[in-house]
Amino acid sequence: MSHSVSPHSSEKALDIVNNVKSSSHRIRNSVATVVGIVALAGCATNAPQDTWQPKGDNAQVINNLQWIIFPMAGVVGVLVLGFYAYTIYRYKDRGQPIPSQSHGKPVVEIILTIIPALILTVVGVFTFRGIFELAKTEDTQMVINVTGQQWWWEYDYPAQDDQGITQPIITSGQLVIPVGTKVLLRETSRDVIHSYWIPALNGKKDAVPGRINLLRLQADKPGLFAGQCTEFCGLSHANMRMEAIALSKEDFAKWVSNQQKAYTAPADGTLAKEGEGVFLNQCIRCHQVNGLKKVDGTPAIAAPDENLYSGAAPNLTHLMTRNTFAGAKFDLLNKACRKDVWGAKSDVIGAKYLSGVSESCLNATALRAWLRNAPAMKPMYADPAKLVKSGGKYRGMPNLGLTETDIDKLVAYLLTRK
Amino acid sequence: MSLNELTLTPSQSPSLAKGKLVVSPSQSLGAVRRPVNTTGWRAWLFTVDHKKIGIMYGCVAFTFFIVGGVEALFIRLQLALPDGRILSADKYNQMFTMHATTMIFLFSMPMAAAFANYFLPLQIGARDVAFPRLNALSFWLFVSGGLILNASWFLGGAADGGWFMYAPNSGPVFSPSNGVDFWILGLQIAGIASLIGSINLIVTVLNMRAPGMTLMKMPVFTWMILVVQFLLVFSLPVITVALVLLMFQRSYGATFFDVSQGADPLLWQHLFWIFGHPEVYVLILPGFGIISEVLPTFSRKPLFGYPFVVFSGASIGLVGFGVWAHHMFASGLGPVSVAVFSMATMAIAIPTGVKIFNWILTMWGGKIWYSAAMKFAIGLVILFTIGGLSGVTHAVAPSDTQQTDTYYIVAHFHYVLFGGMVFGLFSGFYYWWPKVFGKMLNEKLGSWNFWFMVIGMNLTFGPMHILGLQGQPRRMYVWTEARAGEGLFNFGFWNMVSSIGSFVLAVGVLFFIINVIKTARNPQRAPLDPWDARTLEWLTTSPPKVHNFDRIPVVHHLDEFFHRKYVEDETTHTMTQIATGEDLMRAEEAAADSDIHMPGASYWPLLLAIGMGVLGMGVIYGTPIMVVGALLVLFSAYGWVLEPSVPEAIDFDTPSTDGHTKEIAPVG
Amino acid sequence: MITPGSKYFFGLTGLSLIAAILYLVLVNPTDLGAVALFGLATSGALIGVMASFTRDGDVYTDEEAVAANAVAGPPSFWPIVFALGAAIVLTGLATVSVVFILGIAVLIGGGVEWAIQNWADGASSDREFNEFARARAISAIEYPGLAAVGLGVITFFFSRVVLAVSKEAGPIIFIVVAAAIFVVGVLVASKPFMKGAVTVVLAVLAVIALAGAGTFAALSGERHELAVAAEEDYYDASHRECGEEESEHYDHLPNSSVSLRSAVTATIFVKDGKIYAEAIGMTKKVDTITIPRSNATSVMFRNLDEEKHRLVVNLGSAKVAETGVTEKVGTCTQLTGKNQEQVMTLKIPKPATEDEPYSFTVPGATGEIKLVVP
Repeated sequence: MSHSVSPHSSEKALDIVNNVKSSSHRIRNSVATVVGIVALAGCATNAPQDTWQPKGDNAQVINNLQWIIFPMAGVVGVLVLGFYAYTIYRYKDRGQPIPSQSHGKPVVEIILTIIPALILTVVGVFTFRGIFELAKTEDTQMVINVTGQQWWWEYDYPAQDDQGITQPIITSGQLVIPVGTKVLLRETSRDVIHSYWIPALNGKKDAVPGRINLLRLQADKPGLFAGQCTEFCGLSHANMRMEAIALSKEDFAKWVSNQQKAYTAPADGTLAKEGEGVFLNQCIRCHQVNGLKKVDGTPAIAAPDENLYSGAAPNLTHLMTRNTFAGAKFDLLNKACRKDVWGAKSDVIGAKYLSGVSESCLNATALRAWLRNAPAMKPMYADPAKLVKSGGKYRGMPNLGLTETDIDKLVAYLLTRK
Repeated sequence: MSLNELTLTPSQSPSLAKGKLVVSPSQSLGAVRRPVNTTGWRAWLFTVDHKKIGIMYGCVAFTFFIVGGVEALFIRLQLALPDGRILSADKYNQMFTMHATTMIFLFSMPMAAAFANYFLPLQIGARDVAFPRLNALSFWLFVSGGLILNASWFLGGAADGGWFMYAPNSGPVFSPSNGVDFWILGLQIAGIASLIGSINLIVTVLNMRAPGMTLMKMPVFTWMILVVQFLLVFSLPVITVALVLLMFQRSYGATFFDVSQGADPLLWQHLFWIFGHPEVYVLILPGFGIISEVLPTFSRKPLFGYPFVVFSGASIGLVGFGVWAHHMFASGLGPVSVAVFSMATMAIAIPTGVKIFNWILTMWGGKIWYSAAMKFAIGLVILFTIGGLSGVTHAVAPSDTQQTDTYYIVAHFHYVLFGGMVFGLFSGFYYWWPKVFGKMLNEKLGSWNFWFMVIGMNLTFGPMHILGLQGQPRRMYVWTEARAGEGLFNFGFWNMVSSIGSFVLAVGVLFFIINVIKTARNPQRAPLDPWDARTLEWLTTSPPKVHNFDRIPVVHHLDEFFHRKYVEDETTHTMTQIATGEDLMRAEEAAADSDIHMPGASYWPLLLAIGMGVLGMGVIYGTPIMVVGALLVLFSAYGWVLEPSVPEAIDFDTPSTDGHTKEIAPVG
Repeated sequence: MITPGSKYFFGLTGLSLIAAILYLVLVNPTDLGAVALFGLATSGALIGVMASFTRDGDVYTDEEAVAANAVAGPPSFWPIVFALGAAIVLTGLATVSVVFILGIAVLIGGGVEWAIQNWADGASSDREFNEFARARAISAIEYPGLAAVGLGVITFFFSRVVLAVSKEAGPIIFIVVAAAIFVVGVLVASKPFMKGAVTVVLAVLAVIALAGAGTFAALSGERHELAVAAEEDYYDASHRECGEEESEHYDHLPNSSVSLRSAVTATIFVKDGKIYAEAIGMTKKVDTITIPRSNATSVMFRNLDEEKHRLVVNLGSAKVAETGVTEKVGTCTQLTGKNQEQVMTLKIPKPATEDEPYSFTVPGATGEIKLVVP
C-alpha cells in the first residue's frame, strides 16, 4: 500500500499511510487469525456438501479460485476495518476543536480507486481462465443425459462402446460414474427449472426446460458425493436430492453389465411373483420395468405421460442397486447398512455399493410407508381434487390405497429388482 | 379555518369584483369541494403535504417491516432444528416469498420514499414537491398494492414462487393458487406508485432547488435519492413488462413462458434481473445517502471527497444496469457472457470501495460524537464492508457456482441490505426524529437498540456464511441431518445460533419501538439544532411549518446551514461559531414571506388508488369487479383533472392580494 | 355531489350492474347479454358522472342576472355531428357491424360535446370564461380520446406499409422514421421560437404522407410471401407432413433464432449422400441419438448436398382406432436445399418396442441414425 503513494501526495495522505504502517503488526496477527478461520472452514469438517473439499478436477479449479479470492477479501477486510477501528478510537470527541472544513484530497481518492481496481484486475485474469476451463467440452470421455422434474432426477446413459455401454442405461436418484473419467452431463428438465449440484465434483448448473446445459464432472477417487437441487422448483424443492457415486473402472464395468442384463421374472409361487402381479396392476401405469411382460406375453409399457404432468416416473428395473428412492430423499438401506457404505474407504466402497440392497439391509419402514401413502411422506401435488390446472395429471406419486398384503407382495417383488 | 361555512357571494369573489358575473372554477367545476381540514383524520387522508405523506409512508412501511420481520422469525423457527414442523412446505414457500417481497417492496422502498418525501424538499429549500397530488397518489397506490399483496394470506394462500418468481414455476399449473396473481397485481400497483414518485422527485430536484444551490452544492442524501429515482425510472418499466406477460399467462391463457409452446424460460430471468439488480441499488443508495449526512454531522467535518462520493453513487447506478446476469451464472449463459458479467460485477466494487474509503476518511481527523445515529452509521460502514467483500467472492463466477443459491448468498445480501440499508434507515430515524416530531429519541435506549441489533444481526447472518460454504441450499423448508455433517461446522449448531440471533435482532427492534413510545409520552421538546447539523432542513422549526421555510433560503455553500453558523479563519483554519440555530431561525422568522400559498388537499388521489386496487382484484375475481374498479378510476381521474391544481385565492382564509399562489424556487 | 339529473343515471348504473351480476351468476357467465348489461352500466355511470360534474348543466350562482345577461353561444357544429352519428348507426344496422360501432362512437362523442358546449354557453355572461369552462370540462375526455384515435390511425397505416414492403425494408423504414421523429422532436424542443404553425404544418404533412402511403400499401396488398403463406395456411403445422411439398416459404435457417441454439440436442447432416449426426457435448459423431421420454426435444437437420433432402423419423407403427389398420407412425421435415436447415421437435411418450426400433432416415441418402427413448 505504501509504495503506491506518490511523494507529491499531501501530508494528510502520508499521515494516513503512516498510521496503517504503525498498525501493521496488529494487522498481521489478525490476518493470520482470519486465514486460520478460513482454513478451518475449509477442512475441519465432514459435511457432505462442503464446498471447500474438491474431489475432482473441476471442483479443484473452483477451489483454486476460492483460495485466491477468499484470503484476498479477508486481508482487504482486515486492513480496512482495522484502519476504521483505529479512526473510531483516535478521533472520539475529547474536546478537540472543530476541525478545518476540508473537502478531501483528490490524490488520495485516485490512489484509493486505483488500488482496488488493480487487485480486481488480477482476480479477473484468474477468473477468466477458470470460466473458460470449466466450459471446455472437447475432452469429454463419457456423456450422461440428466433430466430433472418435480422432484427427482433421471439419468440416462446413451450407448458408448468405448465406455462399455453397449445398450442405453436408465436410472434415477444416484448418478454412477467411473473415476478419472471426464464425464459431461447434458442437463434438461421436463417441467420447471432445477439445478444440478454435487459440490465435491463441480459447481451448479441449472436444468432449464427446452435447453440443454452442459456440466463437467470428474472424480479422482471412488466415493459417494452428496448433492441437492439448488434452483427453487416448487413444493418439495427441499426434498429433491441427488447423490453421485464414483466407482473404479472395473467396478463401473460390473455396474454397467448388471444394468444391461435382461429381465428375470421371480420364480412362480413366490411372494415376489405375486408382487409382480400387483406391479402390473398398479405401478406400471407410471413406472417402467424394462423387459417386464404382461400376462398375455406382450411387453408392459408404462404410460406416465397419461398420468403425470412431467410425463415421467423413475424407472424401477434395478431399483435395489440404488441406495435411495423418491428423489434420494429416503434411504433404501437401513441406518447400519447405510453407514457401512457411506463410511467405507475408497478401495472397498465400490464392492459395497455394488452389492445393492439385500433383504436384511432394506429400510422396510420407509419403503412400506411410501407405498402406503406417498404424499404423506413428501409434499407433492397428488390430491385429485386439486389437479384442475394440470388437466387432471399428478405432480408426484398419489396415494394408491394399497392393502397391507399388496404392500408385502410389492416389497418382495421390488427386492428382486437388482 | 372555517372554509366550510364560506359561501360564495358576489361581494366576496375577486372575479366578481372585476365586474363580470363569473363563478370561481374551483366551485363551479367539480362535483365536490376540495377538503380543507387541517386537523383530524381527514387532514391526513386527503393531504398533499410532503411531510404528512412522508410520515404516513414511514408508519405504513414500518408496519410492513414488522410483518416481514415476523415472517422471518417463522422461517428461523422452522429452520432452528432439522426437519422443522412449524410450517408446512407450502406455508414455508409462501413465507420466504412474502418475506422478501414485503421487505423489498413494502418496507425498504417506501421507507426510503418516506425519508425522500420528508427531507428532499427541505434539503433543497423547497416548499413541497413538484406534483403534490401525484405524491399523495404514490403513497395511496403503495398502500393499495401492499394490502393486495398481503390479502393473499387470507384468500387461499400467498405467492409461493420466491420473490424472483422464476418461470415456468410461476405458471398456472405449477402454482395453482391465486397467490401469484395477488403478487403480480400488488407489485404492478406498487410499481406505478414508485414510478410516479420517482418522476415527481426528479422534477422536484431539477426544478425546485433554492437559489444558489447548484447540483454540486446539493446534500449527498438528495443526490443519492436522485440517482435512485433515475434507477427506478429506467428499471421499473422492465419489471412491469415482465409482470404483464406473467399476468396474461396466468389470467388470460398466454404462453410467454410455456416451454411446450416454444418459449424460453430464461426470458423471465433476464427481464427480472434487469430490474432486479438496479433494484438492489435502489434499496441501498438511500442508506448511503443517510449516513453521508450523519457521518459528517457527528464528525464535525464535511464529507471527504464530496464529488467522488456523488459520482461513485451515480456510477454504481449506471454500472448496476450492466451486471444483471451475475444472478444467472448457473443458468447456462455460455462462458463469454459469464466472463463479461463477471468482470462488470467486479468493476462495481470499485466505486463502492471509494464510498467506504470516503466515509472512513470523513471521520479521520474529526471530532466524533458517538450518538445512536452515529453508531448505526458506523455499523453500516462495517457491515456493508463485510457484505461487499463477500460479494466480491461471488463476482468470481466459478466460485459463485458453488455459492449461489446457498446460505452464503443469504448471508451476503443480508449484510449488504440489512447492514447497509436497515442500519442506514435506523441511523436516519435517530438523526431526524427531533426534526420530524420535535422530540429527541432516548439515546440510552438507542444504544440498547443498536447493540442488540448489531449483535443479533451478526448472530443471525454471520453463521449463514458457514452454512452456505458447508453446502446448505436456500429456500428449503427443512434441512436434514443426513446432510448436516458433524463437528465444528455442522448445520445443527449454526442454524440454532442463527435462529437465536434472529430473536436477539427482534429484541433490538423492540427497543426501538419502546423508545418511540417513551419519546412520544415525554413532554420535553427537542432543541432546534440538537446535532449541530449542516444542511438546510435544520433551518426551520421542528417539526417544520406547513410551508417549510419562512423565506426561501439563498445558498452559498455546500452544508449551507453549518456555514451560516461557523466561519473558518483563512490562515489558521480554526472554526469560530458566529450564530446558533436559534439565532438563524429568529432571523428567518423576522423576514418571513407573506401570502405563502400551499397546494390544496384533494380527495382524488385516495379515490383513484382505491379504484386501482379494486381493478386489480377484478383481474383475479372476474369482470364485474374489474368494471367497478375501472369506473372508480375513470371517475377519480376525471374529478382530478377538473380540480384546479392550486386552490383559488378565495379558498384560503387570508386571500392572496397579488395573485401569487405558491413559491417555486428557481433553478439554481 | 349527486344532482337530481344524475340520480337517474346512477340508478340505471346500479340496477344494470346488479342485473349483470345476477345474469352472470344465474344465467350464463360467458353470454353476450352480460356484456351488454355491463355496457349499459358503464354508459349510465359515465353520463351520470358528467351530469353530476356539470350540476345537470345548471350553473351554481345566486345571481339571477347571470341568466338575464347570458350571451348566445358561438355557432356549434356538434348537432350536425350528432345527426351524422345517428345516420351512421342506421346505415350500420343495415350493413356491417363495424359501421354500427363507428356510428355509436360518433353519436356518443357528438352528444357529449354538444351537452358540454350547451352547458358552458350558459356558464356566465363572459364568453371567454365560458370557453375556458368548456375546455376544462371536456379536455379530460377530448385529449385522451383524440390521442387514442391518433395512435390507432398511425398504427393502422404504418402496419399496412410494413406488411407491404419486403422483410429487409421493414426495419430500415422503422429506423428511418424513428430517427426522423427524434430529429424533429429535438428541433422543436430546442428551438422554442419555431412558430407553432410550422410545427402544425409539419405534423399535417406527416399525417398526409403516412395516410397516403398506408392507403397505397393497403391497396397494393401484403408482400408476396405473406400473401402466399396466408393462402397455404403456413402457420399451420400441416406443412410438416411428409409428402409433396406445398410451400416454398418455410424458414430456411431456423438455427439463427437465438433460443434454439442451446435447445437442439443433436444435428443430423447429409453429405455426399451419406447421413451422420453430431450431438451437443459429444466429441465424436454419433450413430444413436438418445432423447428423454415425454420431453420435447429438438433435432436439427442440415443438408450439405446439392440435391434436396428431407429428414424422416420413423416411430414404429400403431393401429388406427377408426379403421383398425396398422399404419406407420412418423413425421418429416420439408425438403431442404444445400446448406439449409430444418428443426424437428419430438415429444415421444413411450420407448420403442424391440421389433420396431425408432430411427431417423433421409430418403435418397444411405445410412440411418438410431433414435433411443429409454
